[in-house]
Amino acid sequence: MIKIEPIVTSLVEHEVAFVIIGGVAITHYGSAYVTQDFDFCYLRSSENIRRIVDAMSPFNPRLRNFPENLPFIFDKATLQNGTNFTFDTDIGDIDLLGEVAGVGAYSEVEKTSVEIEMFGRPVRVISLEGLIDAKRAAGRVKDLLVLPELEALLELQKEEKDEAGD
Amino acid sequence: MKRSLEDKLLNPLPGSKVAAAKEFGIDLTLTLKNLRLTPQQRIDQLQEVMRFHHEIREQAKLQLRNKKAL
Repeated sequence: MIKIEPIVTSLVEHEVAFVIIGGVAITHYGSAYVTQDFDFCYLRSSENIRRIVDAMSPFNPRLRNFPENLPFIFDKATLQNGTNFTFDTDIGDIDLLGEVAGVGAYSEVEKTSVEIEMFGRPVRVISLEGLIDAKRAAGRVKDLLVLPELEALLELQKEEKDEAGD
Repeated sequence: MKRSLEDKLLNPLPGSKVAAAKEFGIDLTLTLKNLRLTPQQRIDQLQEVMRFHHEIREQAKLQLRNKKAL
């Protein structure tokens, strides 16, 4: 189980450039889908990776399903040597994505995101359109199952905008 | 005439994405309930559901361990 507030707070306090994607974003838009982890897309600059290390180190990240007896160091070099990571941490499962299938790297994800407030802090969350593209591209059964609800929510969102413009 | 959110979700127009979701089997009463919450309340509710799932899983693991120990 992920504790959402501590990770959001730490990422914001360390000024990490990130966009919330995945199940938490889906919940933000009103879906009844339940996730167990926290996924975010991050800017792969050297400075931002250093900030992520500072923000997440207190939570003791370990690679998920990685043998416990093998050494693992969560540092800047490790993050620079990969793009997407799945971590077990002391506050739950956290996935870092440098690229989101169906959308692209951080710059593309950021373009399709909106700023919202979460736990009283400004954060960016991927748009419903972006979520739909990502889920469609991921193509796993669990992704495809949530698509009809996301498409319905997008239709409602568009209608609301149209009605507000009338 | 402007339709209410409740009407749009519970009586979707044929051919709409909402109708497609209903036909697919999505429980739109839950979606409606969530849309009546603020986004922060939705996240808080998700955290509570996660906590509940976690407790159930831990209880199930404990029971399994106890059975094996017998």
